Amino acid sequence: MKRSAFRGSAALAAVGVTAALALSACGGGDENGGGDGAFDQASNAIVNASDKKGGTLNLLRTGDFDSTDPGNMYYATAWNFSRLYARPLLTFKSVAGQGNLDIVPDLATGLGQASPDQKTWTYKLRTGVKFADGTPVTAKDVKYAVARSNYSPEVMEKGPVYFRQYLENPNGYKGPYKDPNLDNFKGVTTPDDQTVVFHLAKPFAEFDYLATIPQTAPVPKAADTGDKGGVNYAKSVVSTGPYKIDKYEPGKSISLSKNPNWDTSDPNRKQLVDKIEVQLGVAADEVDNRQMDGSAHIDVQGNGVNAAARSKILSDPELKKNADNPKSGFLWYTAISRQVAPFDNVECRKAVQYAVDKTAYQAAYGGTTGGDIASTVMPPSLKAYQKFNLYETPGDKGDVAKAKEHLKACGKPDGFSTSISYRTERPKEKAAAESVKASLEKVGIKVDIKNYPEDGYTGGVVGDPKFVKKNNLGLMVYGWAADFPSGFGFLQQITDPGALKGTGSSNISHIDLPEIAKMFQDVPAIKDEAGRNKVYQEIDKKVMEDASIIPMLYAKNLYYRNPKVSNVFINYGYSGMYDYANLGLK
Amino acid sequence: MIRYIIRRLLVAVLLLAIISLVTFGIFFLLPKLAGQSTDDLAARYLGREVTPEGLAGVKAKLGLDDSFLVRYWHFIEGIFVGTDYKFGTSVTHCPAPCMGFSYRTNEPVFDLLLDRAPITFSIAIGAAVLWLLAGVTIGVVSALRRGSAFDRGAMSMALAGVSLPMFFTGLVSIFLFCRQFKILPTPRYEAFLGNPATWAQNLILPWVTLAFLYAAMYARLTRAGMLETMGEDYIRTARAKGLPERDVIVRHGLRSALTPIITIFGLDIGLLLGGAVITETTFSFAGLGQLMLQGITRSDLPVALGVTMATGLFVIVANLVVDILYAVADPRVRLA
Amino acid sequence: MTAPIEVSGSETEAQPDAVLAGVDRKAIQGRSLGQIAWLRLKRDKVAIGGGIVVMLLILMAVVGPFLVGDPNQPHNDLIDPMLSRPKTGIMHSGISSHHWLGVDLPAGRDMLSRIVNGAKYSLIISFLATILAVVLGVFFGVVAGYFGGWVDTLIARTMDIFLAFPLLLFAIALVGVFPDSAFGLSGNGLRVAFLIFVIGFFSWPYIGRIIRGQTLSLREREFVDAARSMGARAPYILFRELLPNLWAPILVYATLMIPTNIIFEASLSFLGVGIKAPTPSWGGMLNEAKEVYEVAPHFMFFPGMAIFITVLAFNLFGDGLRDALDPRSSR
Repeated sequence: MKRSAFRGSAALAAVGVTAALALSACGGGDENGGGDGAFDQASNAIVNASDKKGGTLNLLRTGDFDSTDPGNMYYATAWNFSRLYARPLLTFKSVAGQGNLDIVPDLATGLGQASPDQKTWTYKLRTGVKFADGTPVTAKDVKYAVARSNYSPEVMEKGPVYFRQYLENPNGYKGPYKDPNLDNFKGVTTPDDQTVVFHLAKPFAEFDYLATIPQTAPVPKAADTGDKGGVNYAKSVVSTGPYKIDKYEPGKSISLSKNPNWDTSDPNRKQLVDKIEVQLGVAADEVDNRQMDGSAHIDVQGNGVNAAARSKILSDPELKKNADNPKSGFLWYTAISRQVAPFDNVECRKAVQYAVDKTAYQAAYGGTTGGDIASTVMPPSLKAYQKFNLYETPGDKGDVAKAKEHLKACGKPDGFSTSISYRTERPKEKAAAESVKASLEKVGIKVDIKNYPEDGYTGGVVGDPKFVKKNNLGLMVYGWAADFPSGFGFLQQITDPGALKGTGSSNISHIDLPEIAKMFQDVPAIKDEAGRNKVYQEIDKKVMEDASIIPMLYAKNLYYRNPKVSNVFINYGYSGMYDYANLGLK
Repeated sequence: MIRYIIRRLLVAVLLLAIISLVTFGIFFLLPKLAGQSTDDLAARYLGREVTPEGLAGVKAKLGLDDSFLVRYWHFIEGIFVGTDYKFGTSVTHCPAPCMGFSYRTNEPVFDLLLDRAPITFSIAIGAAVLWLLAGVTIGVVSALRRGSAFDRGAMSMALAGVSLPMFFTGLVSIFLFCRQFKILPTPRYEAFLGNPATWAQNLILPWVTLAFLYAAMYARLTRAGMLETMGEDYIRTARAKGLPERDVIVRHGLRSALTPIITIFGLDIGLLLGGAVITETTFSFAGLGQLMLQGITRSDLPVALGVTMATGLFVIVANLVVDILYAVADPRVRLA
Repeated sequence: MTAPIEVSGSETEAQPDAVLAGVDRKAIQGRSLGQIAWLRLKRDKVAIGGGIVVMLLILMAVVGPFLVGDPNQPHNDLIDPMLSRPKTGIMHSGISSHHWLGVDLPAGRDMLSRIVNGAKYSLIISFLATILAVVLGVFFGVVAGYFGGWVDTLIARTMDIFLAFPLLLFAIALVGVFPDSAFGLSGNGLRVAFLIFVIGFFSWPYIGRIIRGQTLSLREREFVDAARSMGARAPYILFRELLPNLWAPILVYATLMIPTNIIFEASLSFLGVGIKAPTPSWGGMLNEAKEVYEVAPHFMFFPGMAIFITVLAFNLFGDGLRDALDPRSSR
């Protein structure tokens, strides 16, 4: 899961309004940086395209990135940001619009070459790519990066572990910190300095998506030792991108300057500004106000503006034309635990599907600019998306009569008691939980609201079946975006019975249907995309029939772009936030 | 005097030990009370896949399975001699005074404290100066002009001030001064050494917010104290001696009216810091209070413990200073 | 958090026997101490005003919740789905004939109902916490004052530690790590009980110090000596001789402690460690308003004013009560 440290979100105006504004804005741009640009323009086009160089780009955000270490990060915003200084094997294409969901070669010369059984994937590295210190990048550095990030949970605890999950590991390799001899790591081989070969234990036709994860960005083993290595590598990352980290003070600031050894033939990044200063830990209101008053350029939190700023932006045309409202690829949903009685009965789950007022949930996430009402697990930003709605209610406001019917069928005509959980740090989830409570109490279901810290919510709370049962967490407010934008990337973690493990599973509904498990087992071997997408749609339907996930919103964010910034566009490969690797100043 | 200070210092060390034990106890015992196993606790630190291996790693790293005394001992040991933390092949040495690493960000807690403390103390000290000055001045003037319009006005204000929660005053003042009338920038902390002028400009609102409540209390106290003292016989004697009224007020009246104020101020330092926490939250300053709240919501024991120790230390030192001031202000005080 | 500074500051002023100064003890049979105080209190218009407001608040907290409807009932239709603020009302507050104080965000819940129900929790917690603090404070204060010696030293030092430390931080630590269910309680019931405990437990030393001081002076008096010489045992002297002479300061400082505890509770809720959502509490409403008060200032204003008026009323009444029971402190 790309977790979101979600702060604000915003939504889309009617298409007609957008178009009208776009037209009017084209008519009157002023000279003083009010500039051209129209509402939601960056969602589909490059705003202020320019190759002008120089200047200092001032980025800012609340909080901090989960890490600056490409091997130890999971948030989409960190993955996006990491491309300034780290080149994975593949990346998402730097073009405007949905086209940037396409995977293109980055450190590699082409997409992966798969063996017929989809179990061996080979990548050739570009020649001439160097680290910031001038040493050439070799295949071994990629192998080392994968080894450290996936096989050392005692050090690298934040990132995903897809490689560990898919690569073969016949001799139980324990990671380079415990076992420095990389030859014992059989999952990746390096026949020569330019070739990286991944050996999978099971077929996976979508392996190229994994190669876009920053964990494939090369790490020189020599730099990852002593007090500069391990967890501290975050402060001394050796760059392969257009910028290098000069100084990182966690929670305070990151300073980047040009990397003189960057391979300028890199088609996916630009090196326009001289310096990039990131101010961390800025108060949320402050982040919004400083973008709007022009004293900072772009918010790299990647979750959009706050409630106050949203209201200001949407009601002021001058501000609104510098705002974008793209889909984020997130699904905001409430999971129903199939383990917690009476939700072990599908009829009780269906009752809840009919009872919830999705417009109230939408209000909790900031109204219509916070997301579109959802009816499927997969969001429309995925190629595999197919529209359907098994639980239609008038105006999406819930249907008390239908809900009561299903309650009766469930044997609980008078309702029952359950609990709903949300993450303490997220006021929107709190409001969402309150809205579910209010909807359900209309049909006689009593709901107790519980909150838990964001950290470890998946690990030790909703992802821990014992905890869920003990605390009667029948309902869980949650959000999900794919780690990589395919049906598999989106669905597998949250709906695959095979993803269930002791604790820490994101399949928090505890879906354990064998038919779904079977589909997930078979789909990775299907070579053609259309065939796979069919299966994903099938899974989506099955899950909805099972009624164990209540899709609430296809999330959207409202972003503000400082009109002085050039080359601004939304990158859907990274949860629909601005692409950070191409920004410049007008 | 020196014996007095040494005695006070010993007591201070003892107090710190008690505070750290109690905080340690809270974090150690409460989760157990709730029936959580160390596995449950460790799982919260693993963001993703929770494997027995990962759990064991976390438990070893955090020492979750050690007994209370062992963990406490490690903590104390770190403060005096430092500790080594092993992360695979890389070893991080944490020199004394080592208060451990944040469970969440791996930052040394001591650095975090050094980082955040200036913010909280800037708020607290500035506000304390402001409230003492304003409170005492208003109190004295009110007492001397008892029953005047000033007196009545000031005392009504004071009563209102005592009744206003500072998070409300803070929000209202941001709303009014920074958003509606835009007289002041939205406060954000700037280092004092960077630019004292912007430092102060940014801190005005937090200071006033925090000081308002206490200035009100102190004005009432000073007024009451002054009224009482000015009615005493020795004041009459001083006047009868023909001392100028100013001398009577300052040397005799104010001096003895101030002594209880100083004592109370000593007691209020803890409240001052508590107030600073609320002020920080209201103004979104990343000070110690925010660090504490973060530490609590994210079950980050070393951080929460560090903040408690730091604030405890501050309170103890401040109380020491107050006691010495007290001795200077009131010669009658026994130093024994 | 605020603490009753007046309490510590007025230690020297509040001597219950001062009330009796010049009154022949045997002659009071006709007019009790209470009657004298009542006569004085009646003349203090401001205090009576405060008292009336306090009574109204209590009435509101007891009866109000039955009149104002469900505080958790959302009115989503009143909220602009795009700008997410109330559609109507002055300054986008949603104030109307149905919602006298407007509605909150984002669910559009009635502010009046939330404030009235918030009063219930605020008052319950602060009253019970005060009672707890008074019981603890009086017990330890009397014991310390009466027995003296090492008992006194121990209790007095403990109170000093309590008084000197950033209790708000401790309270946050305690509430923050407190489990969801314990002692057979769970949910909000447990929360409320726990808040009462934390607030009461952290504020007893304020009253403890005063009672200790009072006891120290009382125990030297003849009637205590007399009781002792007649062979009365300590419990008898404590509860039958000393306690009846302490009710005046207890009453005064209990009254003044309530507003402090109201603010204490509101502070914890404001910091997010108080009562759990969606149960309304004034501090919690301000916490929610913190995010959106620029869009909807009424969301911040009304709960803030509720706290202000309540605390002010208690302070006015408490001040008047003190003046009535202790004329020397009249201001």
